[in-house]
Amino acid sequence: MNESVNIPQSSEELFQFIDSNAISSEKIVAPRYSYWKSVFRVFFRKKTNIFMIVVLLLMFLVAFVMPNFWVYDPMENVQNASTFNLSPARAMRYFHDGSLKWILGTGAMGNSIFYGIVASARTSLLLAIICAAINMTVGIIVGAVWGYSKKVDAVMLVIYNIIANVPYILLISVLVYIIGSGFWSFIFALTVTGWLSIAYFFRTQVMIIRDREYSLASRCLGTPVARVISKNILPFLTSVIVTLLATELPSYISMEVFLSYIGVGLSATVPSLGRMIQQGQTAFLTFPWAFWPPVIVASVITIILYLLGQNLADASDPRTHM
Amino acid sequence: MKKYMLKRILFSIFSLLVVVMVVMLLVYTAINRNVIFQQDDVWNKRSNNDKAMYEYAQYQKYGYLEYVDYSSFVKLKYMELYGSDYETQQDFITDRTCIQKEDYKDNPSVKEFAQKYSAQGYKIKYLAPAKFKSGKLKTGGSAYLVAVHELPVTSRLLNYIKGFFTVETTNSVKDETLTDRYIRFEKDPYSKLFAVVGSGTLHKYLLYFDGRFPFIHQNFIHLNLGTSYTTYRGQEITSVISTPTGAMKSFKQQYPTKIGTDEYVETAINFHSLTYNPSTPSASDLEQFPDRYSAYSYHMQGFSMLENSFVIGIISLVIAYALGLPLGILMARRKDGLADKLGNAYIIFIMSVPSLAYIFLFAAIGTKLFGLPYKFANAQVKILAYVLPTISLALPSIGSLMKWMRRYMIDQMNSDYVKFARAEGLSEKEIYRIHISRNALIYLVHGIPSNILACLTGAIITERVYGVPGVGNLLTTAINKHDNGVIVACTVFYTSLSIISLILGDLLLAKYDPRISLSEEGGGGR
Repeated sequence: MNESVNIPQSSEELFQFIDSNAISSEKIVAPRYSYWKSVFRVFFRKKTNIFMIVVLLLMFLVAFVMPNFWVYDPMENVQNASTFNLSPARAMRYFHDGSLKWILGTGAMGNSIFYGIVASARTSLLLAIICAAINMTVGIIVGAVWGYSKKVDAVMLVIYNIIANVPYILLISVLVYIIGSGFWSFIFALTVTGWLSIAYFFRTQVMIIRDREYSLASRCLGTPVARVISKNILPFLTSVIVTLLATELPSYISMEVFLSYIGVGLSATVPSLGRMIQQGQTAFLTFPWAFWPPVIVASVITIILYLLGQNLADASDPRTHM
Repeated sequence: MKKYMLKRILFSIFSLLVVVMVVMLLVYTAINRNVIFQQDDVWNKRSNNDKAMYEYAQYQKYGYLEYVDYSSFVKLKYMELYGSDYETQQDFITDRTCIQKEDYKDNPSVKEFAQKYSAQGYKIKYLAPAKFKSGKLKTGGSAYLVAVHELPVTSRLLNYIKGFFTVETTNSVKDETLTDRYIRFEKDPYSKLFAVVGSGTLHKYLLYFDGRFPFIHQNFIHLNLGTSYTTYRGQEITSVISTPTGAMKSFKQQYPTKIGTDEYVETAINFHSLTYNPSTPSASDLEQFPDRYSAYSYHMQGFSMLENSFVIGIISLVIAYALGLPLGILMARRKDGLADKLGNAYIIFIMSVPSLAYIFLFAAIGTKLFGLPYKFANAQVKILAYVLPTISLALPSIGSLMKWMRRYMIDQMNSDYVKFARAEGLSEKEIYRIHISRNALIYLVHGIPSNILACLTGAIITERVYGVPGVGNLLTTAINKHDNGVIVACTVFYTSLSIISLILGDLLLAKYDPRISLSEEGGGGR
């Protein structure tokens, strides 16, 4: 039993000297924790998330790559009245070229619904991403300062109480009037005051965290303001930011649909889901193929963006990382 | 508390003024004013100076400027001198036509015109005759002399605020023959109740009761939010949205002079709406009305725009609260159960999908499966026309109420007082009903006044889809038609409603939860 073990003879030989390493002895051994790695581990644990990401990527691929090959021209058949409002089956029979182009039928001008949707989805996705990026960045930065400084708070509250009362539709339509209804001017109209409500929401969140004990202690030790905001407060609000993003992203797509419907949306030269829905809605009971596909595409994009955002927000809450 | 409210109300009025100012700046100065001619056929047909004059007339109508035409000035001047046959007078004709010649400046009338209006801050503009090289006038090329005064935003705002309220007094009517001026209580022969009746006031009935919403009516204070230019030509917005529409409603009534006799007539005249009639009364007027109050409006069968929106809004709100709150509580109680999952799916659908999508989906289901009328105007049975819009409007409110009720219930479920209640041996039902729901409701109480007042602003998409004649589309159509007066009026209307609902919400919250104190030094717990 004891054959392989060398039993020391004296007490001095019971212990061996090992070189001490000052640095490594200071370390407490624990499994390495990376915040974002854990977030994604929890996020991808749900199989539906992977499915939704695949669908979304597919949509992005089709929406951003395909319009280079499939050029959408809403006026291509405008001279030929027999191509107007054809149902999918009749359109396939009429054009007879077996391409995907007519798979969803034609609209009121003989335009291809399918190509229209592909081109419009690109506009909608771009619009949502750019607007969300601008509004979230400005909103969070302003909101952080607004919530942190009491002087800024007093001034900003007055501004907010006044601007928040101007009807949003009025502001957007006036801006669209002044600067035109192209893609970039539409983005400008959506972002010029859009950040204000985000900043206000964020202000309240920051105010809650600002007076927590650890933040107070940090301030007492003389941490500069910028560092308190960026290191003490913002990391605490990651899940709030992601939740906000989850509601903001789809809301711009809905907003574009809504504004186009009431007649102050993007100009006719920019293909957009809102305009397609607006054109299809007049006869949505008689020509359903011109109305429901863009509605379904808009709905699917918004639902996926919303769900992914919500799930990401859940995953970004450290309490779920156990 | 009183000090706090006073401060708050003053600030609200201030911010309302700033909002109106900002909107006026945007609408009147930021937008290129030429857009009003985009679809104007008259403007396209006119040319040269005629076109410019037409532009002045339109700009004045839309509230951009004030202008005086020289020819109307001359006309007035000679009308005073010679009476009605001024047109044949030689000096009138020479004065009027002098502006077509090059030496027009020497004419005494022109000098007087220029002097009078320059003193008032007007700019004198001379539109020289547009001629071909041959000396022949181009079409619409005759000369004009005008005094133009651009309205700055500040004076426009002041004028607007001045005309905001008009209060009825016994001197409202300018008529020297009317000597008996009073305001007094009288027995109202139409409602069989009492009414405040005035003489010398614009309206005869200043306060009266009748069977129509809101049952008590007053004419003491008249609110004027502004005048429409294009959508409802020349009408005041307040009367546009509050005047009942539809066919006239006739029933047996008596003319004021016939009261006490048994002479009844079948008429739709609303005798409570009698106003002072400035024209000399005709023989039939004298037979029917004892005094000069003989102008009237009619009883109508339909609702006014405001009532349409309000009826739809308030019913859908009741549905939303009646369904949304219990469903939210149910979801919280059966967390992660089937009800919770179904409810969450519904919430996600309503929150993320564009509202147009589900409103149309619902319209298709309602019309195809249940045979409900789609467009409001085509409904055979009037009451059925309200069904689809009401339910469509309730759908999103139900979703958001469910979402927040569930959220707040779950937040409350883990608090100490719930554990304590359980330790006391209360039943789960009691805990949910008495403890958790009441605390969760605190968060939702704040939104109730704003939800109710929001019914007055109407619903843009629902009203458009179903063609409901309501107030929801007032602003959007006004924007599309460049109706500046309506845009400003809508802004004032929406802004004041949102300010009032915020204040009411805070008050209700403080009332519902005594721990909450609105004024800073209060320090709750009373």
